[in-house]
Amino acid sequence: MAWEERKRGGSYYTRSRKANGRVTREYIGGGLAGKMAAEADRRERERRAAEALEAKQEREKVEALVAPVVELGEATDIVVRAHLVAAGYRRYQGKWRRARREQRNQDA
Amino acid sequence: MSSETKTLERYQLPSAVKERLDELRELSKRAEGGDMQARQELKRTLHRSGPEVIARASDIGRKAQHMLIETAAGGDPLTEYALSGRLDMMREEVAGENPSPLEVLLVERVVACWLLVELFEALMAPQLWTGTGKGRSIPLGLLKHYLSWQEGANRRYLAAIRELARVRKLQSSTPGIQVNNNTRINVSGGSGKGEPRWAPNKEE
Repeated sequence: MAWEERKRGGSYYTRSRKANGRVTREYIGGGLAGKMAAEADRRERERRAAEALEAKQEREKVEALVAPVVELGEATDIVVRAHLVAAGYRRYQGKWRRARREQRNQDA
Repeated sequence: MSSETKTLERYQLPSAVKERLDELRELSKRAEGGDMQARQELKRTLHRSGPEVIARASDIGRKAQHMLIETAAGGDPLTEYALSGRLDMMREEVAGENPSPLEVLLVERVVACWLLVELFEALMAPQLWTGTGKGRSIPLGLLKHYLSWQEGANRRYLAAIRELARVRKLQSSTPGIQVNNNTRINVSGGSGKGEPRWAPNKEE
């Protein structure tokens, strides 16, 4: 979106859009029509920028809420795994099973 | 240091605890691979630093819950109080009698995950409510993020419950992973039947 200068003088406003993978340029015109279109585009850009900023802040806020729970989960997984392994368990096909030696020791 | 950084640090494990966790992870990996020396070292490390790691992680869990409560309450002290009470009840209910520190940690995770799920439900509900058409709509990109977070929270919640159930089941049949109130790991056996699951070790 920009104002372009004509060779014979004057300027006109254009919009570039991407449609079906191709960039097409729309010629709006000069004078009042061009100014109004430029103003509308400026407002739309500002609205989108504000929306993006709000979304970014919201994402950061939610990520900050989720992070400690994730950290707690990771720490818990490590501690549980350490206790199970220390007690003689091994993971077999995703399931925790007691090693035979440990089982024999317990049975004895 | 900015106040924001300080605030975030409150909800993170101290670096010394993270180092211990790395050590435990590494030793567990080696011990699972059949390294007997690593397993002995793992037992020693758990005995030495296990209690502190569990206590710190539980502490982070509590702090995370507090932060989630504040967010969910949105500044309303009554809601904050009610949620806090609800969590206490839930914690007590899930933990049962005489929970071991390991079980307490797992319960903290279940409770924190439940709260996160509830929070996302509350955040998503107005976005999906079309009844009056007056709901505040959020950009589609952010809505996708919300859905992904909500899905993750649900997944974590179920995983936390599953893990607690698994540990309880294994502990009930194997005193080998019982961690009593003094966090001593009992690896010497026992009948496993007719004994309370979380009975404190009578030798101590």
